Amino acid sequence: MESALNATFEVLSFGAVLVLVVLGLGIIAGMMGIFNFAHGDFVLLGAYTTYLVYSVGLPVWLGMFAAPLVVAAIGFVLERVVIRRFYAIPVIAMVATYALGLIIREGVRGLIGGLYLSVPEPIVGSFTVAGAQFSRWRLAIIVITTAMMIAGYFLLTRTSFGLRVRAALDNPSLARASGISTSALYAATFTFGAGLAGLAGALVVPLFSLFADFGIHFLILGFLAIMVGGIGTFQGSVAGAATVGVLSAALPWAVAPVVADALVFVIAILFIKFKPKGLIA
Amino acid sequence: MCDQSAGGAKASRVSRRRFLHSAAWMSGAVATGVGSWVLQPRWSNAAAAPIRVGIATDLTGAIAYAGNANANTARMVVKDINDAGGILGRPIELLIADTASDESVAVANVRRLIQRDKVDLVLGGITSSMRNAIKDVIVTRGKTLYIYPEQYEGKECTSYLFCTGPTLSQQCDRFIPWLIKNGGKRFALPASNYVFPRAVNEHARKFIENNGGEVIVEEYYPVDQIEYSATVSRIMTNKVDVVLNTIIPPGAGPFFKRLYEAGFGRRGGRLACLYYDEASLNINEPQEIEGMANCLDYFRAVTSEDLASERIQAKYDREFPGRILFAAGTGATGMYRGLKLWELAVKEAGNLDREHVAAALDHAKISEGPGGPAEMVPGKRHCRMNMYTAVAKNGKFEIVARSAGLVDPMAC
Repeated sequence: MESALNATFEVLSFGAVLVLVVLGLGIIAGMMGIFNFAHGDFVLLGAYTTYLVYSVGLPVWLGMFAAPLVVAAIGFVLERVVIRRFYAIPVIAMVATYALGLIIREGVRGLIGGLYLSVPEPIVGSFTVAGAQFSRWRLAIIVITTAMMIAGYFLLTRTSFGLRVRAALDNPSLARASGISTSALYAATFTFGAGLAGLAGALVVPLFSLFADFGIHFLILGFLAIMVGGIGTFQGSVAGAATVGVLSAALPWAVAPVVADALVFVIAILFIKFKPKGLIA
Repeated sequence: MCDQSAGGAKASRVSRRRFLHSAAWMSGAVATGVGSWVLQPRWSNAAAAPIRVGIATDLTGAIAYAGNANANTARMVVKDINDAGGILGRPIELLIADTASDESVAVANVRRLIQRDKVDLVLGGITSSMRNAIKDVIVTRGKTLYIYPEQYEGKECTSYLFCTGPTLSQQCDRFIPWLIKNGGKRFALPASNYVFPRAVNEHARKFIENNGGEVIVEEYYPVDQIEYSATVSRIMTNKVDVVLNTIIPPGAGPFFKRLYEAGFGRRGGRLACLYYDEASLNINEPQEIEGMANCLDYFRAVTSEDLASERIQAKYDREFPGRILFAAGTGATGMYRGLKLWELAVKEAGNLDREHVAAALDHAKISEGPGGPAEMVPGKRHCRMNMYTAVAKNGKFEIVARSAGLVDPMAC
């Protein structure tokens, strides 16, 4: 019972982390048809911003608040300066994002001296339910992710901005013909996606410590999640992230960890084979 | 038709030229390029030609923090030697090549040290896989002496390859009985899935079982895994007393945090990690690794009981203030020892001939070094040294036990 409770909580908390990462990745992929290879490094930038604020003596939560804003600003600049030039050729755009990611990663590696640095949680300690110990901060991540999911859903379905985003997603030419500036929309989407990645990095850095390859772990699982969930919908991203997150956190409880790592991919590929448009297309 | 074939021939000529042009450009870029940097001698007007010492270490990539500590230590020792007049009346020129935490990059850069720079000695390599990748280039094809400075599993018995870091036997054989006494009998051996952790676990299991303990959990994880909730749950439900960890970063930090959150330390569990040193302490918050034990050839705390260690540590801190620390787990202590032992060997040999220097190095001894004196075991190409057991308290390692004298490496 204690172990089952524990397992459920752990699986949920890792799923939540992945949902945060994938939300941004999914929205960019869905709207612009670009798999953003720099997304993992936006996550890293969020983590680094948090560390930077903490290391000058300010409270960690302030860093976590600043991280999504800083990363969104960087995302906006990169979209305007680099990414938008390649919308017509998505493959080149992907290579460009890969290059940007590499520059960010190696830049941060230089700045932190290749070290692994600890960032404390803003909410420390754990609580006990039915004899099992749960970390307060992991619970906070689940709560924040849920809030972000709900906010994101309402933003897309209940606001005029959301309507325009959905219009551009569905039929960009028709959206442009109807007077919607897809260029401005793309910039906004990329900025929003980058901000989400920054938030994800800020929230999870206390769990995994800061290091230069921080983002890559999430990037690969993120792509997998998008393939499983289906490209182009908000619900698809969430469903895919939840599936992959739960799979990769739950499998090591059942089989040898080295096997579990590969098994996640095998299951996901089989799944895509039988449901090529994803869970929610 | 005729035109076409002429056009085809022309096109192919152009593309061959372009190919050659690109190939020349590429190889030029690779040969002179960003992969390595070289310290130029400051004594270009010195009378005697300098002795060239090559350092091949990971200045960039995943374990750059360790590689830079090695490089800094080499700079410090070489400066010392040069300030004292060099060796055999000749200064030492240090050439530092980046192995970039990547074996394929490393082989090319080390080959350049050997073939272009014609160094008399190569020191370096941090991981065992790196040592295996570059040793043939240095020792067999390069006919050059090689000193490997890092703690490792202890099965390297190649001629002309000397190891100056502690072996697994030096680390474990007293440490595991200590862990059983100061932790308990039920062990977990979580490990990253590569050669060093597997060797550690094989060796440790033997010692644990011989000393009345038992291994409850032995598991291997992908090297880059960072999520360990299932493992921690198994450790907690199986009532493990001692976790002897060989999960490496990036997984180590999250794993220790998980253990802490689950209350492993609070219920009296003992955490141990064979590569943890002062440079690793900032991976976690101090309370998360409180009580972690390790056995190494040097800890900063040794400076309070050994004058030479204090002098070396102070000198390093003065010359290289910042985040790259002088610590045993990075191989920096082995680097110091290696250079000093080699200095004595060259002085004894009176020349730089590989056979003569290797013969002298085989029985070289230094009376002062980080952690105390050290000596090569004749015929074994490994080093006897003091070993210290330390426990992390409030983010610092404190010495809790020390070997009675120099510990034998039990290798080869």
